[in-house]
Amino acid sequence: MATADNQQDEGVYGGLYVDKHVAYIKSLDKRHDEMEYWMTEHLRISGIYWGLVALHVLGRPSALDRDEVIGYVKRCQNADGGFGGHEGHDSHLLYTMSAVQILAMYDALDQVDAARVVSFVCGLQDEKGEVSGDVWGEKDTRFAFISVAVLSFFGATARMSVAGVVAYVCRSMNYDGAFGSQPGGESHSAQVYTCLAALAIAGRLDAVDRDRLSSWLAERQVRSGGLNGRPQKLEDVCYSWWVLSSLQILQRTHWVDRRRLCEFILSAQDADAGGIADRPGDVADVYHTCFGLCGLSLAGFDEYPLGAVDPVYCMPVDVVERAGLRSWMDKIPESWLAQ
Amino acid sequence: MHGRRRQAAKEATVDEKEQNRQRVEKYCALNDLVMQNKAQGVYTRETLEATHRLLELNTELHTVWNYRREIFANLPEWQDDEQRQAMLEKELAFLLEIILKNIKSYWMWYHRVWALRSLPTPAWKGELALVAKLLSYDARNYHGWDYRRFVVARMKESLDTDTQRDDVDASEFAFTTDQINKDCANHSAWHNRSKLLPAIMQKAGGALEQQEVLKREFDMILNAIYTDPDDQNGWLYYDWLLDVQKDECEKQKLLRDKVAAIRELLDLEEDSKRPMVELVETLVALEKIAPHLVDDERKKECLATLERLEQIDTYHVGKYRDMSKSLSMRWGL
Repeated sequence: MATADNQQDEGVYGGLYVDKHVAYIKSLDKRHDEMEYWMTEHLRISGIYWGLVALHVLGRPSALDRDEVIGYVKRCQNADGGFGGHEGHDSHLLYTMSAVQILAMYDALDQVDAARVVSFVCGLQDEKGEVSGDVWGEKDTRFAFISVAVLSFFGATARMSVAGVVAYVCRSMNYDGAFGSQPGGESHSAQVYTCLAALAIAGRLDAVDRDRLSSWLAERQVRSGGLNGRPQKLEDVCYSWWVLSSLQILQRTHWVDRRRLCEFILSAQDADAGGIADRPGDVADVYHTCFGLCGLSLAGFDEYPLGAVDPVYCMPVDVVERAGLRSWMDKIPESWLAQ
Repeated sequence: MHGRRRQAAKEATVDEKEQNRQRVEKYCALNDLVMQNKAQGVYTRETLEATHRLLELNTELHTVWNYRREIFANLPEWQDDEQRQAMLEKELAFLLEIILKNIKSYWMWYHRVWALRSLPTPAWKGELALVAKLLSYDARNYHGWDYRRFVVARMKESLDTDTQRDDVDASEFAFTTDQINKDCANHSAWHNRSKLLPAIMQKAGGALEQQEVLKREFDMILNAIYTDPDDQNGWLYYDWLLDVQKDECEKQKLLRDKVAAIRELLDLEEDSKRPMVELVETLVALEKIAPHLVDDERKKECLATLERLEQIDTYHVGKYRDMSKSLSMRWGL
């Protein structure tokens, strides 16, 4: 690793390989000789979202070609109004979310027909308030979150039953205070994030058992400083996001050791090829690069001016502000802010 | 994207590069063919076969799983129950083969759900046995547990009487007991148990019988706690049982039992982090419902314990400081 003296010359700051990561992200769309590139085509749009968030956090929001990306996103929209992971792929909430997030980051939401997107999303909620990912009907609290989040970008949350979403999320709460993928599903950090984010947008964080959940989340930190997704599982850089953003919403990121978490994330970087992996020594990918950097930002890594990230939308704070969507913070229960 | 070790960068040989190029070309050609067929709405046995070959190479192509389902529904055999049954049984066998390559694939598990829902005569018992086998390889696979809950729910729907349905619940409850006896740290099993317990209690009968069930539950969780005092889950489950216990007198007794158990554990090992945290939280809970049982000495013990915790568990200093502040304010100490 670079020493303190020559760090900034090499684009390394406090152990963070800024320039390498930017180069890594920019190289991703050119890897046409790699099997991996083609095997992940079905989630290309999410790959772009992860890369773009990472670039924003690193202070290089213009590193990709804006027109090219927007053009591509538009081509991913289907007749039903939703977006697929790539051109010609079926619409799904996962990719609709990524599409909307990308457009928001480019301040280009006006380039899609909002009514069609809203109609696609609203059509996926059933009478019980539960939300499917697509017309095939798989339900998950992730989709409940995505539905209110996407609609919020168009000021259209009232077009669906937010109360229904809240009830569905609450039915997915478990005895440990954490949340599962559906009513009856085991607690998992990623679901905790999506459920908290959904409740935050709905202004219903009061429904959370804050102390129990905070304790459960705090226990995700293991000896290495990394965070795991649920008890007895391996630590993984992506949980630096799912767990830390959850703690941020709960106003309790200080309940874990943020310095040790930063050390863990930094140790999972690929210092040669750039990018961040799930854990030290593994192959990097854009997903973990995004969440590792978001985690570093939330954890207060200060050796480089990382962009601030909104813990509900997993997007740059300035973008979320511009979209008028930081108002979820006004609805945080008073007692949470007292401490 | 998870768990792949980095290899030392080696320049690929000319042969390796050519081999790789051919692999990519072959995969892309098949992918393009299938996506084109789909765009043109071609639903035949040939296009079905092409999706089979593609999904074997890449199980995560959810658009192709969608298309495959559409092809099935458009084949003439689909309209005949016997033929549909045969087609779907074959599909389930295919799925079982490839799901083992990626046991955590949301798309494949959901395709299985679709197949079971579409079967004229679903074999729920067989599915239960299958998922039990899969869980024996990976007892924490939540896709497996979610699928198990789906199968159980559908099984119950297909039964005629409440007694039969109660038997299914009892059998599921017993399954979690087995899993826990194999490994009391199996949180997935404890979680499933927590979802079954309310119904089990209700079916037990009157207040006395229900208390019996609850008592057995407390004994079971205490056993898990003694086996591994550092596992947060056991304590969380105990706290949840305390919430389930509506009788105030019993609750008080149970909180005192909890304190006694903690003191035993701390006697065995003084600076044991989790029991120490639980000591504070339990005394706080007890003080709320029976203030006379937690005197100033006990309150000071709580604050001293939190101070000690800051030293032995430096990862959670922020939490302990918050707790100290809040208790100092509440108790005026």
